[in-house]
Amino acid sequence: MKISYNWLKEYVNFYLSPQELADKLTNAGLVVADIHSVEDDFCLDVEVTSNRPDCLGVIGIAREVATMVGASVQLPETNYINTNIDVSKLISIAVEEPILCPHYTARIVRHITVKPSPDWMQKRLKCIGLRPVNNIVDITNYVMMETGQPLHAFDLDKLSDQRIIVRRARGGEEIVTINGASRALFHDMLVIADSKRPVAIAGIMGGKDTEVSASTRNIHLECAQFEPRQVRRTSKVTGIASDSSYRFERGVDPEGVELASKRAVKLIKDLAEGEVANGNIDVRLERYETKKITLRVERLNKVLGLEIKRIKRTVASDILKRLQFNVINEVDTFIDVEVPSHRGDVNREIDLIEEVARIYGYNNIPTKTSISVRGSVKSKYEIVEDSVRQFLIGIGYYEAKTFSIVDASPLQSVNLWSDKGGIDIANPLRQEESRLRTCLLPSLIHTKIYNMNHGVERVKIFEIAKVYLAGEKLPQEKTCLSILADVDYLTLKGIVESLLTCLGITSKCEWMIFGGSILFKADRSAKIQLGNNVLGYIGEAKELELKTSPCMVELDMDLLVKMSNFSKKFQTLSQYPPVLRDLAIIVDEEATWASIEKCIAATNVSYLTGINFFDIYRGKQIPSGKKGIAFNLCFQAQDRTLKSEEADIALQKILNALQETLGGELRKQ
Amino acid sequence: MLEKLEEVKRNIQREIKSITALKDAEQLKIKYLGRKGIIHDFMKLIPSLPAEQRAAIGQRINSLKAEVTHTVEELSLKAEVTHTVEELIKKFSGEATSKAKHEVFDITLPGKRPLVGKKHPLTQTIDDIKEVFARLGFDVVYGPEVESEYYNFEALNIPADHPSRTDFDTFYIKNDILLRSQTSTVQIRVMEKQKPPIRIIAPGRVYRPDTVDARHSFMFHQVEGLLVDEGVSFADLRGVLNQFIKTYFGQDVQMRFRPSFFPFTEPSAEVDISCSLCKGSGCSVCSYSGWVEILGAGMVDPNVFKSVHYDAEKYTGFAFGMGVERITMLKYGINDIRLFYENDIRFLSQF
Repeated sequence: MKISYNWLKEYVNFYLSPQELADKLTNAGLVVADIHSVEDDFCLDVEVTSNRPDCLGVIGIAREVATMVGASVQLPETNYINTNIDVSKLISIAVEEPILCPHYTARIVRHITVKPSPDWMQKRLKCIGLRPVNNIVDITNYVMMETGQPLHAFDLDKLSDQRIIVRRARGGEEIVTINGASRALFHDMLVIADSKRPVAIAGIMGGKDTEVSASTRNIHLECAQFEPRQVRRTSKVTGIASDSSYRFERGVDPEGVELASKRAVKLIKDLAEGEVANGNIDVRLERYETKKITLRVERLNKVLGLEIKRIKRTVASDILKRLQFNVINEVDTFIDVEVPSHRGDVNREIDLIEEVARIYGYNNIPTKTSISVRGSVKSKYEIVEDSVRQFLIGIGYYEAKTFSIVDASPLQSVNLWSDKGGIDIANPLRQEESRLRTCLLPSLIHTKIYNMNHGVERVKIFEIAKVYLAGEKLPQEKTCLSILADVDYLTLKGIVESLLTCLGITSKCEWMIFGGSILFKADRSAKIQLGNNVLGYIGEAKELELKTSPCMVELDMDLLVKMSNFSKKFQTLSQYPPVLRDLAIIVDEEATWASIEKCIAATNVSYLTGINFFDIYRGKQIPSGKKGIAFNLCFQAQDRTLKSEEADIALQKILNALQETLGGELRKQ
Repeated sequence: MLEKLEEVKRNIQREIKSITALKDAEQLKIKYLGRKGIIHDFMKLIPSLPAEQRAAIGQRINSLKAEVTHTVEELSLKAEVTHTVEELIKKFSGEATSKAKHEVFDITLPGKRPLVGKKHPLTQTIDDIKEVFARLGFDVVYGPEVESEYYNFEALNIPADHPSRTDFDTFYIKNDILLRSQTSTVQIRVMEKQKPPIRIIAPGRVYRPDTVDARHSFMFHQVEGLLVDEGVSFADLRGVLNQFIKTYFGQDVQMRFRPSFFPFTEPSAEVDISCSLCKGSGCSVCSYSGWVEILGAGMVDPNVFKSVHYDAEKYTGFAFGMGVERITMLKYGINDIRLFYENDIRFLSQF
């Protein structure tokens, strides 16, 4: 809320420069975001938290200042002379929805002169960013800014039958509000109506038809209270946020109507002449009941952690008194207080503790360093996440972070993990961010394109983040590790294999033909199976306006965590040299390395400790439809030097198996 | 025989003096100690000597042998440094020694750097925060990002249609399912499952329908902290946060608490640190106030304890939450939040 420095001084005496005032308010919880000079005044932009609607008026801020500087608040003049004619003769009021409008008052001023408001008032309104209209409208705004209680003035003569009914809107009703916009009204909205039609949306904005204009002679001054949630809902539905709705939503002082109404009438009488009708019409659901709370001195000090330098009971009660709490009973161990009506936020002992702490000064409370000792152990997830990141950055990969909310394009709709569709946002800001992603790779492709357009041709990037898969009530959030790099398929596959080793995952993966998708090239992509679970998908990216053809992989991070194993056991190093045998066999083009490995493993030969692929070749010496595969076998015994003949026997057995199963022929050198 | 040995010894001593390079020492070794070396020749003669002379001659040969070995070793050590450099020069200049002896190896040429990647700066910040709090005994926990209204609002003392909801604009999926607008949701999830004492931090992504600009993003990261036990006080909160601030931002950084409002804490505070850029004298980063806001904190509101069935009279606790982007921007002087999500390698490689 914007406040005027000079205006504030009208209610409280203080000797603080605008900057000093701003610092004090900030330290008491009313952050002053900006100070700027306006003519001979200063405008302070105060951020009032939603629990303190009492500070949405200059008097409210004055109360805070008074508490801080130890002064008292001077309330404005409200006395005026009225005529003998009773208000009830001039207007009738009916509140049909007392829950939604617990308090409605009417005062009438007749024979007024509508004209511009005086300079001093215009200046103050302008200082806080309000546009002066005429004396009556300006006065209602002025008093709202002064007291925090919104008011509305109707042209009495334009109210049909001089009757006000506070009721729900009826289907098909419409209103043109003072800003000129036409609104359809619905049954769940509360309106102020005359005998024929709605004349205001309750607590939000008045109607154009009945507004005060240059020709207005008689006015009905409404000062009322509306149920906060009702105002909030209607404000949201109609899209009208006014200074009035802002205050009603947060809750106004239940005892504040009288002061505001009288103050406004007093100003109207002073600035627009006229005759004030006698009394007012006051329709109220129930009397306000003052809240009583007990503050235990022991509890106060315990919650704040004050042991040696405790807040004494007298200090606490002094602070509460300065905040206009009424101390009704006070003994050594506790204080009973009555909460002032404008403090709707104070309902419990803990709220009083905050009030005392706030004025005592948060920064006067010590910084204690005596919390108990407690060991914290990294979870398995954290260990895996750290290991994965360390591994990847160690081999030159950059970690990216991309948005979880994406567009609904075919690329972003790729879903490797589930058959169900993506999850849409009901209230997106833009179509570009309207769906929770089901795959990380499209975002990495975009990152690749972004870098390409900024002069970085080749990238190696990864991301660890969630994908969101349609589930029962809440979606399934699956954490994935995705990598995109300008490397070839086998290099990326090797990285995945090394990563698995690094995480202690020793079970062998199966790399199965995946067949491609919008992401991958059909002949260069694989589904990675780990035991009974799908670990992920890998492949060369399709031509997606990329200059290079990077490879990508998306892995199930949760599965990595589950399968990882960091318990290690030392294995004795063999004292004896291994026997190595290089071989090259010719097989059919269709025969895979996996099938060769499988065939060799099935022979179960002794002492075989390693099979290492090193080359694949096709050429003149190889018949067409065949290929040569070169690899070596490593034989080793733990307890003795293996004899060459033993290795040869094993080798022969393997060659026989390859011949039988795959038709593999040993290539003659 | 003995005379001959003496003569050999004199020759050795003379030759040692003229040795300048490692290869000369090696040659000396081969000449005397090698399989076909002079000393070896003497050894072969031993069996043919009269028995009474064998011991003496043998001893003599052995001492000569030891002397040569020792000398060669010493010389080798001295020559090694020079030798290594010579070798390197030869290796790097290829055939330079034969073709162009005057070429010199340039030791100032740039090194061949292995490519090393980087963790995203936000990850680095989260890791740093985790590190500080782990040492204070806080466990790291995670919670779902798609949440029900109950966890995001009601259980955190933010009832429907409450004005404080204005402070928490939220993306909805459907009905009461939403994207969490704060990591405080994790507080409830942890307390529902666990009895005090509790000491956790919860990092993660949060979402708010804010139009993207240099300061706002519809997705950002927070780290939430929660400590609940008997006798936990506001002074403990101040102590823990002070510890964090000094460790993370530096020992000379000052902390300031300002009263504020959050529905889930009472008393509530916003916590500022002295501006590290201007040292408190005022600059554009701190809006000329000398202070920058870095987190929100407070004592857990009794209503929050009520929703997880904790006895608010017996247990007290504090909670705090900080924006990871904000802290990272402050720490490195980054002026645009969008940089974090563009993932420009030129940006990522700076941290």
